[in-house]
Amino acid sequence: MKQQKSGTGRLIGGVVVLIATSVLVYILDKPMGDLPAIGRLLDPVSGCWANAEPVDPYFSKQLKLPLTATSATVWWDNRMVPHIQAANDNDIYFLQGYIHAKHRLWQMDMQTRAAAGRVSEVAGPSAFDFDRKQRRKGMVYAAENSLRAAEADEHTSTMIHAYTAGVNAWIASLSYADYPLEYKLMGFSPEPWTNLKCVLLLKYMADDLTGKTDDIAYSYLRSVIPAKDFELLYPDKIPGAAPVIPAGTVYPAASLTQPLAPPDSLVFPQYESTDFGELREQGKGSNNWALSGSRTASGAAILCNDPHLALNLPSLWYEVQLQTPDMNVYGASLPGAPGVVIGFNDSISWGLTNNYRDVKDYYQIKPVEEDKTKYWFSGDKLAFGSRVEEIRVKGKPTFYDTVLYTLHGPVMYDEKFNEKGSLRGMLAMCWTGHRGSNEQLAVYKLNRAKNYDEFVNGILHFECPGQNMIYADRLGNIALWGQGQFVNKWKEQGRFIMNGWDSAALWQEMIPMLENPHAFNPQQGYLASANQLVTDSTYPYWYNGNYTELRAWRINEVLDTLQGASIEDMFALQNDEYSVLASKTLPLMLSYCTSINHPYLDTLRSWNYILYKHSTAATIYQLWWRNLYSDIWKDEFSKVPDYTIPLQERTMQLILTDTALKYYDNRRTAKIEVLRDMVLRSYQETVDSLDKQQKTIGLEWYKAKSTSVTHLTKLAPFSYKDLATGGWGNTVNAMKPNHGPSWRMVVQMGKEIEAYGVYPGGQSGNPGSPNYATYLQHWVDGKYYRLLFLPNSPTQTSIQITHTQTVSKN
Amino acid sequence: MKFLISVVAISILSYWLGFFLPWWIPAAVAFLVTFFLPQKSGVSFLSGFVGVGLYWLVYALVRDVSNEHILSGRMAAIFGLPGTASFIAVTVLVGSLIGGFSAWGAALIRLSR
Repeated sequence: MKQQKSGTGRLIGGVVVLIATSVLVYILDKPMGDLPAIGRLLDPVSGCWANAEPVDPYFSKQLKLPLTATSATVWWDNRMVPHIQAANDNDIYFLQGYIHAKHRLWQMDMQTRAAAGRVSEVAGPSAFDFDRKQRRKGMVYAAENSLRAAEADEHTSTMIHAYTAGVNAWIASLSYADYPLEYKLMGFSPEPWTNLKCVLLLKYMADDLTGKTDDIAYSYLRSVIPAKDFELLYPDKIPGAAPVIPAGTVYPAASLTQPLAPPDSLVFPQYESTDFGELREQGKGSNNWALSGSRTASGAAILCNDPHLALNLPSLWYEVQLQTPDMNVYGASLPGAPGVVIGFNDSISWGLTNNYRDVKDYYQIKPVEEDKTKYWFSGDKLAFGSRVEEIRVKGKPTFYDTVLYTLHGPVMYDEKFNEKGSLRGMLAMCWTGHRGSNEQLAVYKLNRAKNYDEFVNGILHFECPGQNMIYADRLGNIALWGQGQFVNKWKEQGRFIMNGWDSAALWQEMIPMLENPHAFNPQQGYLASANQLVTDSTYPYWYNGNYTELRAWRINEVLDTLQGASIEDMFALQNDEYSVLASKTLPLMLSYCTSINHPYLDTLRSWNYILYKHSTAATIYQLWWRNLYSDIWKDEFSKVPDYTIPLQERTMQLILTDTALKYYDNRRTAKIEVLRDMVLRSYQETVDSLDKQQKTIGLEWYKAKSTSVTHLTKLAPFSYKDLATGGWGNTVNAMKPNHGPSWRMVVQMGKEIEAYGVYPGGQSGNPGSPNYATYLQHWVDGKYYRLLFLPNSPTQTSIQITHTQTVSKN
Repeated sequence: MKFLISVVAISILSYWLGFFLPWWIPAAVAFLVTFFLPQKSGVSFLSGFVGVGLYWLVYALVRDVSNEHILSGRMAAIFGLPGTASFIAVTVLVGSLIGGFSAWGAALIRLSR
């Protein structure tokens, strides 16, 4: 009897234990809030442990894939750069897609989600506002227009179809165990790749590189600052600029006449919004230059490029070499898009910096009061178009946003969607990026260009974002184009918000692209761009843009006197940390402090103006300058985003020439201050905070500024911070906290092409891979890798090749 | 002896089935092995605990060594653990617990007859 009872007890106990076990398994199998399913994640077979790649990488010698030709080859070198050779366009882009996906699938997925406003599907409500803004900007609308253009062209149609098929072939081969680690952490799965995603990625770059909604802030400023002062603080063309296209370059006569500016009252609405939020400093810093053989030690042309972008992991770039019978190209590619974006081939090399010419304008829309489906234009009532945007949000109901479309473009802001600093009413965005342009065709042609004419023929397809495209070839030619599709504007058009109901405010004709500013083999023997003003005043069309000058001054100053340049000289200039700003402003600042004795001042008095990573003078100067800059402007300009305060270089020019400008006065005090007061006051503030900082992180420059390279999830263990780098936004090596040289390249176009490059990351996007951040330390140290440029031949002999994969048709 | 056989059987069967079945399959294996090789409930718990734990430990270790601890170090940091060893320990503990409990339940049910 007792035995029996114990048996029942055991049975009950057993069942309870089994239920408890099941519950435990169930809990471990389910994501909890932001936490992934722990059991699935920790499972050594398929969980995160499956992402612990062996440090000796494995590559299967044979691959079977749906090629159109019988075979192709992938040679991997000792830096894990693939050198892909295929018989035709279809197979080369198929394999590029396949390999991009192999190393960077999650990143490609996230970046195109970001472009399309689909992040909250996988990241939840925190990304909702971001997503909604992307939809409002018409990002998908823009990508669809460009996709139609890409699919209408035979070359780019093949290119993107094959690339998409390649990515999907990789995705189809995956089981859960093979998913990139981030999918397991965030708890979602890869979805099929599409042609649209290739284009979305390019639109994301275009949006990022064609400016923010600063027209709104400038409209406000223009209404509160007297016109004469506005011109002084925001000159149309900053005096003393060293433009992208060298001053004195002769421009051909314009085929279009610049339209006459209509009266302001007609085209510029009264603007009242003053609730601008704090926006972070805009990232800038790209440089490129080319030296003709007359200036180099070898006698061959040298081309250099360091595009500066947000510093993230996995890196934006992926190194690759692509070979077909009519192409042999090496360079930096964008995972998510076919081809090589910046690089060189057997004949030519090219590089890009952002051109910043304004191609994104805003129009105030006046809806018809009694019929909200229409808006006023030129006395007529026009019907709005609309797109219903379905924004899915993880863990929340789907949100439907109806975005209205006008003849100017999508209505970005209205009463339903109104960010800080946006208009009280409807505001439509007019952007060249919305038009169906086919930048992919430019990439296709550049990758195959054999000479200058073919280069020009290629870049004419690059419409948005406008880029300063540098060129050098093996014949010793150099060239630079301020390339993009630009609008023939009347003076000041698009600098401020315009009336959307008056036809006088409309964009007029597009400028024929062959008339874009360019220079070919100039007398001076070099060409350089660094996001500065594009032309001198003799260029026949009016334009504006967010230009910065400091780096351009420095680069031109160095190149002007550089003869017999070596590759090492180029490395040094890309890593140059000499601050023109400091060299001009610090002597003036110190001149007001002659009677003060203080160790900080002694340090500054003996400084060489180099923002070296271990310099303490750099920290003292930068903080003092920031305080001075802020003390001068922040009283009058407290209500606008930081980047619409007068430029640092403009401020520099003003303080060097005018000691009693009314803007020096702090309007919050009764006293009328002059420059001297501002300098002394900002110095005192600087001393106070430096004294505190000395006790915590110290005064070394790299610690004070803290350059980081951050994983897209922002997870600290996948990121690197406090990197020991010098430089700042005002030096050629523009290393800012989260923004810097995303790819440094130096190519000497001699008999043998000698190319060097480095980027802050590694070929693998897997944080569990030894190739995740392989190049980072080299990049931090300002070092380079010699790039392995293989000849276009069926067999290879380089000892740097570590693995060979033969791909055969299945 | 029976204990050793249980441990080895649980480890090896879990290993084979783990290639094509979900991550929790070791729990089912521990249950079945214990059901057919019943021991005292405490010993059964231990054989499940050790059997699955051993399998996860060896599996994780092999991967961790060939990876030179890159992934485990980063994952440990995400979970706020001091390092590789503790991340492996947490991994093994999860496997051990589901194996142990499952075997214990099986033993209790079997012994109730």
